[in-house]
Amino acid sequence: MTAPKVSVADRLHAAAFAIGGSGLVCAYWIAFFHSDLTLPNFVHNLTSPAVVKLATVYMGFESAFPLADLFVAVTSALAAFYLVGQDAKAVLFGLVASGALGFLAFIDISFNLLHGLYAPATLFRDVGLQMEALINVSCLVGAIWSIWRLWSHPLRRAEDRPSRLLDGALGVDAAEAGR
Amino acid sequence: MKGFSQWFHGQDLNSSYGRIYRAGAPLAGSEASRPSGTRCDVHLDLPLACFITALAIGVCVEALAWALRLWRYRSPIFPLINILLVFGLIEGLSVGWFVGGRDALRGVFPVLFMAGAVLGILIEGLNEFWLHAWSWSARPLLGVRRSIDKAAFVGVTWGFVPLLTVLLARLLMTLSVEV
Repeated sequence: MTAPKVSVADRLHAAAFAIGGSGLVCAYWIAFFHSDLTLPNFVHNLTSPAVVKLATVYMGFESAFPLADLFVAVTSALAAFYLVGQDAKAVLFGLVASGALGFLAFIDISFNLLHGLYAPATLFRDVGLQMEALINVSCLVGAIWSIWRLWSHPLRRAEDRPSRLLDGALGVDAAEAGR
Repeated sequence: MKGFSQWFHGQDLNSSYGRIYRAGAPLAGSEASRPSGTRCDVHLDLPLACFITALAIGVCVEALAWALRLWRYRSPIFPLINILLVFGLIEGLSVGWFVGGRDALRGVFPVLFMAGAVLGILIEGLNEFWLHAWSWSARPLLGVRRSIDKAAFVGVTWGFVPLLTVLLARLLMTLSVEV
Protein backbone atom coordinates (compact mmCIF):
# COMPACT_ATOMS: atom_id res chain seq x y z
CA MET A 1 0.00 0.00 0.00
CA THR A 2 1.44 3.38 -0.98
CA ALA A 3 0.81 6.49 1.10
CA PRO A 4 -2.49 8.06 0.01
CA LYS A 5 -2.88 11.80 -0.40
CA VAL A 6 -3.14 13.34 3.03
CA SER A 7 -4.37 16.89 3.61
CA VAL A 8 -2.15 19.38 5.45
CA ALA A 9 -4.58 19.41 8.41
CA ASP A 10 -4.48 15.61 8.65
CA ARG A 11 -0.69 15.67 8.44
CA LEU A 12 -0.61 18.12 11.33
CA HIS A 13 -3.05 15.99 13.25
CA ALA A 14 -1.00 12.82 12.61
CA ALA A 15 2.16 14.66 13.69
CA ALA A 16 0.42 15.82 16.87
CA PHE A 17 -0.61 12.25 17.66
CA ALA A 18 2.80 10.80 16.83
CA ILE A 19 4.95 13.46 18.52
CA GLY A 20 2.71 14.70 21.32
CA GLY A 21 0.62 11.65 22.12
CA SER A 22 3.30 9.00 21.61
CA GLY A 23 6.84 10.38 21.42
CA LEU A 24 6.69 12.91 24.24
CA VAL A 25 4.76 10.53 26.50
CA CYS A 26 7.50 7.89 26.03
CA ALA A 27 10.23 10.51 26.56
CA TYR A 28 8.53 11.76 29.73
CA TRP A 29 8.42 8.32 31.33
CA ILE A 30 11.96 7.43 30.34
CA ALA A 31 13.06 10.71 31.96
CA PHE A 32 10.87 10.00 34.99
CA PHE A 33 12.57 6.68 35.66
CA HIS A 34 16.12 7.71 34.80
CA SER A 35 16.53 11.38 35.72
CA ASP A 36 15.29 14.22 37.89
CA LEU A 37 14.03 16.28 34.97
CA THR A 38 10.35 15.60 35.50
CA LEU A 39 10.28 15.84 39.29
CA PRO A 40 9.06 19.02 41.01
CA ASN A 41 11.46 20.80 43.36
CA PHE A 42 9.45 20.11 46.51
CA VAL A 43 10.20 16.38 46.14
CA HIS A 44 13.90 17.14 46.71
CA ASN A 45 13.47 19.61 49.55
CA LEU A 46 12.01 17.40 52.25
CA THR A 47 12.06 20.07 54.92
CA SER A 48 9.18 18.92 57.14
CA PRO A 49 7.14 15.75 57.83
CA ALA A 50 4.22 17.33 55.95
CA VAL A 51 6.35 17.77 52.81
CA VAL A 52 7.68 14.21 53.15
CA LYS A 53 4.11 12.93 53.31
CA LEU A 54 3.05 15.02 50.31
CA ALA A 55 6.11 13.91 48.32
CA THR A 56 5.38 10.25 49.10
CA VAL A 57 1.75 10.62 48.03
CA TYR A 58 2.79 12.56 44.90
CA MET A 59 5.38 9.97 43.85
CA GLY A 60 2.98 7.11 44.49
CA PHE A 61 0.32 8.88 42.42
CA GLU A 62 2.71 9.65 39.55
CA SER A 63 4.09 6.11 39.46
CA ALA A 64 0.58 4.78 38.79
CA PHE A 65 0.42 6.59 35.43
CA PRO A 66 2.76 4.58 33.12
CA LEU A 67 0.24 1.81 32.42
CA ALA A 68 -2.49 4.34 31.58
CA ASP A 69 -0.07 6.37 29.48
CA LEU A 70 0.91 3.19 27.62
CA PHE A 71 -2.70 3.03 26.43
CA VAL A 72 -2.59 6.69 25.33
CA ALA A 73 0.77 6.32 23.57
CA VAL A 74 -0.21 3.17 21.65
CA THR A 75 -3.67 4.42 20.59
CA SER A 76 -2.14 7.78 19.56
CA ALA A 77 0.47 6.01 17.45
CA LEU A 78 -2.28 3.91 15.84
CA ALA A 79 -4.36 7.04 15.17
CA ALA A 80 -1.36 8.68 13.46
CA PHE A 81 -0.69 5.48 11.49
CA TYR A 82 -4.27 5.20 10.23
CA LEU A 83 -4.49 8.95 9.52
CA VAL A 84 -1.46 8.69 7.25
CA GLY A 85 -3.14 5.69 5.61
CA GLN A 86 -6.43 7.65 5.36
CA ASP A 87 -8.30 4.77 6.96
CA ALA A 88 -11.55 5.10 8.92
CA LYS A 89 -9.92 3.49 11.96
CA ALA A 90 -8.02 6.77 12.46
CA VAL A 91 -11.22 8.27 13.85
CA LEU A 92 -11.78 5.33 16.20
CA PHE A 93 -8.25 5.30 17.61
CA GLY A 94 -8.03 9.10 17.57
CA LEU A 95 -11.18 9.48 19.67
CA VAL A 96 -10.06 6.74 22.06
CA ALA A 97 -6.61 8.32 22.46
CA SER A 98 -7.98 11.85 22.86
CA GLY A 99 -10.59 10.73 25.39
CA ALA A 100 -7.98 8.87 27.42
CA LEU A 101 -5.59 11.84 27.26
CA GLY A 102 -8.29 14.25 28.44
CA PHE A 103 -9.26 11.88 31.25
CA LEU A 104 -5.66 11.59 32.47
CA ALA A 105 -5.20 15.36 32.26
CA PHE A 106 -8.30 15.94 34.40
CA ILE A 107 -7.15 13.40 37.01
CA ASP A 108 -3.73 15.06 37.22
CA ILE A 109 -5.20 18.57 37.41
CA SER A 110 -7.67 17.42 40.06
CA PHE A 111 -4.89 15.88 42.18
CA ASN A 112 -2.69 18.96 41.92
CA LEU A 113 -5.54 21.34 42.77
CA LEU A 114 -6.73 19.28 45.75
CA HIS A 115 -3.21 19.07 47.20
CA GLY A 116 -2.47 22.77 46.74
CA LEU A 117 0.24 22.17 44.16
CA TYR A 118 -1.35 24.66 41.77
CA ALA A 119 -1.58 27.37 44.42
CA PRO A 120 0.10 30.47 42.89
CA ALA A 121 2.73 30.66 45.66
CA THR A 122 3.77 27.03 45.09
CA LEU A 123 3.52 27.18 41.33
CA PHE A 124 5.62 30.34 40.88
CA ARG A 125 8.67 29.02 42.73
CA ASP A 126 8.68 25.43 41.37
CA VAL A 127 9.84 24.94 37.77
CA GLY A 128 8.88 21.25 37.89
CA LEU A 129 5.29 22.11 38.75
CA GLN A 130 5.21 24.79 36.05
CA MET A 131 6.26 22.14 33.54
CA GLU A 132 3.55 19.84 34.86
CA ALA A 133 0.94 22.59 34.53
CA LEU A 134 2.08 23.16 30.95
CA ILE A 135 1.79 19.43 30.22
CA ASN A 136 -1.71 19.31 31.79
CA VAL A 137 -2.94 22.28 29.74
CA SER A 138 -1.36 20.93 26.53
CA CYS A 139 -2.98 17.51 27.06
CA LEU A 140 -6.37 19.07 27.70
CA VAL A 141 -6.24 21.50 24.76
CA GLY A 142 -4.85 18.79 22.46
CA ALA A 143 -7.54 16.30 23.50
CA ILE A 144 -10.39 18.78 23.00
CA TRP A 145 -9.03 19.98 19.65
CA SER A 146 -8.54 16.39 18.48
CA ILE A 147 -12.04 15.27 19.49
CA TRP A 148 -13.57 18.36 17.88
CA ARG A 149 -11.69 17.74 14.62
CA LEU A 150 -12.34 13.99 14.46
CA TRP A 151 -16.02 14.46 15.25
CA SER A 152 -16.66 15.89 11.78
CA HIS A 153 -13.78 14.19 9.98
CA PRO A 154 -14.58 12.91 6.47
CA LEU A 155 -13.20 9.49 7.42
CA ARG A 156 -15.93 9.05 9.98
CA ARG A 157 -18.35 6.49 8.57
CA ALA A 158 -21.72 7.82 7.48
CA GLU A 159 -23.62 5.10 9.36
CA ASP A 160 -22.04 6.39 12.58
CA ARG A 161 -23.48 9.83 11.89
CA PRO A 162 -27.28 9.71 11.80
CA SER A 163 -27.40 13.43 11.00
CA ARG A 164 -25.62 12.76 7.70
CA LEU A 165 -28.00 9.94 6.81
CA LEU A 166 -30.91 12.23 7.66
CA ASP A 167 -29.44 15.01 5.50
CA GLY A 168 -29.00 12.52 2.68
CA ALA A 169 -32.59 11.27 3.00
CA LEU A 170 -33.91 14.83 3.12
CA GLY A 171 -31.84 15.69 0.08
CA VAL A 172 -33.37 12.77 -1.85
CA ASP A 173 -36.89 13.75 -0.71
CA ALA A 174 -36.33 17.34 -1.75
CA ALA A 175 -35.00 16.24 -5.13
CA GLU A 176 -38.01 13.98 -5.67
CA ALA A 177 -40.36 16.78 -4.59
CA GLY A 178 -38.73 19.13 -7.05
CA ARG A 179 -39.42 16.86 -10.04
CA MET B 1 20.51 12.15 37.65
CA LYS B 2 18.49 10.04 40.05
CA GLY B 3 14.96 9.31 38.92
CA PHE B 4 11.98 7.54 40.38
CA SER B 5 13.54 4.24 41.46
CA GLN B 6 16.28 5.89 43.48
CA TRP B 7 13.86 8.30 45.09
CA PHE B 8 11.38 5.55 45.89
CA HIS B 9 13.88 3.24 47.56
CA GLY B 10 15.90 6.01 49.12
CA GLN B 11 19.16 4.54 47.95
CA ASP B 12 21.36 4.72 44.92
CA LEU B 13 20.35 2.01 42.49
CA ASN B 14 22.29 3.34 39.54
CA SER B 15 24.13 0.45 38.04
CA SER B 16 27.22 0.47 35.94
CA TYR B 17 27.74 -1.95 33.08
CA GLY B 18 27.27 -5.51 34.20
CA ARG B 19 26.15 -4.57 37.69
CA ILE B 20 22.50 -4.96 38.38
CA TYR B 21 20.68 -4.12 41.54
CA ARG B 22 17.12 -4.83 42.52
CA ALA B 23 15.84 -2.48 45.19
CA GLY B 24 19.33 -1.82 46.41
CA ALA B 25 20.36 -5.47 46.61
CA PRO B 26 22.62 -7.00 43.97
CA LEU B 27 20.81 -9.30 41.56
CA ALA B 28 21.83 -12.93 41.78
CA GLY B 29 24.60 -13.57 39.32
CA SER B 30 25.79 -9.99 39.05
CA GLU B 31 29.39 -9.15 39.81
CA ALA B 32 28.45 -7.49 43.09
CA SER B 33 26.71 -10.60 44.39
CA ARG B 34 29.67 -12.93 43.94
CA PRO B 35 31.44 -14.06 47.09
CA SER B 36 34.87 -12.51 47.35
CA GLY B 37 37.60 -14.79 46.08
CA THR B 38 35.48 -16.53 43.44
CA ARG B 39 36.48 -15.85 39.88
CA CYS B 40 34.31 -16.02 36.81
CA ASP B 41 35.89 -16.16 33.38
CA VAL B 42 32.60 -15.74 31.55
CA HIS B 43 31.74 -12.07 31.80
CA LEU B 44 28.61 -10.87 30.09
CA ASP B 45 27.56 -7.24 30.24
CA LEU B 46 23.88 -6.45 30.35
CA PRO B 47 23.94 -4.32 27.15
CA LEU B 48 25.56 -7.21 25.29
CA ALA B 49 23.11 -9.67 26.83
CA CYS B 50 20.20 -7.44 25.71
CA PHE B 51 21.64 -7.24 22.18
CA ILE B 52 22.17 -11.01 21.90
CA THR B 53 18.74 -11.79 23.37
CA ALA B 54 17.01 -9.39 20.99
CA LEU B 55 18.87 -10.95 18.05
CA ALA B 56 17.73 -14.40 19.19
CA ILE B 57 14.11 -13.19 19.45
CA GLY B 58 14.47 -11.67 15.96
CA VAL B 59 15.75 -14.92 14.49
CA CYS B 60 12.87 -16.87 16.09
CA VAL B 61 10.25 -14.38 14.85
CA GLU B 62 11.63 -14.30 11.30
CA ALA B 63 11.89 -18.11 11.19
CA LEU B 64 8.30 -18.46 12.38
CA ALA B 65 7.08 -15.86 9.85
CA TRP B 66 8.98 -17.64 7.09
CA ALA B 67 7.55 -21.05 8.09
CA LEU B 68 4.00 -19.71 8.26
CA ARG B 69 4.54 -17.50 5.18
CA LEU B 70 3.18 -14.44 6.98
CA TRP B 71 5.26 -11.86 5.13
CA ARG B 72 7.96 -11.83 2.50
CA TYR B 73 10.91 -9.51 1.96
CA ARG B 74 11.72 -7.72 -1.27
CA SER B 75 15.41 -8.63 -0.92
CA PRO B 76 17.11 -11.48 1.02
CA ILE B 77 19.29 -8.90 2.81
CA PHE B 78 16.29 -7.17 4.44
CA PRO B 79 15.58 -9.84 7.09
CA LEU B 80 19.21 -9.61 8.19
CA ILE B 81 18.97 -5.83 8.41
CA ASN B 82 15.69 -6.18 10.32
CA ILE B 83 17.18 -8.61 12.84
CA LEU B 84 20.42 -6.66 13.34
CA LEU B 85 19.13 -3.11 13.22
CA VAL B 86 15.52 -3.19 14.42
CA PHE B 87 15.55 -6.18 16.77
CA GLY B 88 19.15 -5.96 18.01
CA LEU B 89 20.08 -2.29 18.04
CA ILE B 90 16.77 -0.43 18.30
CA GLU B 91 14.42 -2.66 20.30
CA GLY B 92 17.02 -4.69 22.20
CA LEU B 93 19.88 -2.34 22.97
CA SER B 94 18.30 1.12 22.71
CA VAL B 95 14.89 0.45 24.24
CA GLY B 96 15.53 -2.75 26.21
CA TRP B 97 18.79 -1.87 27.88
CA PHE B 98 18.45 1.92 27.98
CA VAL B 99 14.95 1.89 29.49
CA GLY B 100 14.84 -1.36 31.42
CA GLY B 101 18.38 -2.55 31.87
CA ARG B 102 19.96 0.10 34.05
CA ASP B 103 17.79 0.13 37.14
CA ALA B 104 15.38 -1.90 39.17
CA LEU B 105 12.59 -3.22 36.96
CA ARG B 106 9.86 -2.03 39.33
CA GLY B 107 7.29 0.02 37.44
CA VAL B 108 9.27 0.25 34.22
CA PHE B 109 7.49 -2.57 32.32
CA PRO B 110 4.77 -0.34 30.83
CA VAL B 111 7.44 2.09 29.61
CA LEU B 112 9.33 -0.74 27.92
CA PHE B 113 6.18 -1.91 26.13
CA MET B 114 5.17 1.68 25.31
CA ALA B 115 8.49 2.60 23.70
CA GLY B 116 8.74 -0.73 21.85
CA ALA B 117 5.20 -0.53 20.48
CA VAL B 118 5.46 3.14 19.44
CA LEU B 119 8.72 2.46 17.59
CA GLY B 120 7.18 -0.70 16.12
CA ILE B 121 4.15 1.18 14.77
CA LEU B 122 6.50 3.81 13.33
CA ILE B 123 8.61 1.14 11.58
CA GLU B 124 5.56 -0.70 10.26
CA GLY B 125 4.11 2.61 9.04
CA LEU B 126 7.33 3.54 7.26
CA ASN B 127 7.33 0.16 5.52
CA GLU B 128 3.62 0.11 4.76
CA PHE B 129 3.43 3.57 3.19
CA TRP B 130 6.93 4.31 1.86
CA LEU B 131 9.71 1.70 2.05
CA HIS B 132 7.91 -1.51 1.04
CA ALA B 133 10.83 -3.64 2.23
CA TRP B 134 8.41 -6.42 3.11
CA SER B 135 4.84 -7.22 2.08
CA TRP B 136 2.08 -9.25 3.67
CA SER B 137 0.87 -12.53 2.27
CA ALA B 138 -2.83 -13.13 1.63
CA ARG B 139 -2.96 -15.45 4.66
CA PRO B 140 -4.89 -13.92 7.58
CA LEU B 141 -2.89 -13.08 10.69
CA LEU B 142 -4.96 -14.13 13.74
CA GLY B 143 -8.10 -13.17 11.87
CA VAL B 144 -6.70 -9.87 10.54
CA ARG B 145 -6.96 -9.74 6.75
CA ARG B 146 -6.18 -6.24 5.48
CA SER B 147 -2.53 -5.31 4.98
CA ILE B 148 -2.85 -2.00 6.86
CA ASP B 149 -4.46 -3.75 9.86
CA LYS B 150 -1.76 -6.43 9.88
CA ALA B 151 0.90 -3.70 9.96
CA ALA B 152 -0.86 -1.96 12.86
CA PHE B 153 -1.31 -5.23 14.76
CA VAL B 154 2.31 -6.28 14.31
CA GLY B 155 3.40 -2.73 15.22
CA VAL B 156 1.74 -3.08 18.63
CA THR B 157 3.23 -6.54 19.21
CA TRP B 158 6.71 -5.01 18.79
CA GLY B 159 6.14 -3.80 22.36
CA PHE B 160 6.79 -7.31 23.64
CA VAL B 161 10.32 -7.38 22.16
CA PRO B 162 12.07 -5.03 24.66
CA LEU B 163 10.02 -6.51 27.49
CA LEU B 164 11.08 -10.08 26.70
CA THR B 165 14.60 -8.91 25.89
CA VAL B 166 15.18 -7.41 29.34
CA LEU B 167 13.67 -10.36 31.19
CA LEU B 168 15.59 -12.96 29.17
CA ALA B 169 18.83 -10.94 29.22
CA ARG B 170 18.76 -10.76 33.02
CA LEU B 171 18.07 -14.49 33.13
CA LEU B 172 20.92 -15.08 30.68
CA MET B 173 23.30 -13.09 32.88
CA THR B 174 22.30 -15.03 35.95
CA LEU B 175 22.79 -18.33 34.14
CA SER B 176 26.08 -17.26 32.51
CA VAL B 177 27.61 -16.57 35.92
CA GLU B 178 26.26 -19.76 37.45
CA VAL B 179 27.84 -21.76 34.60
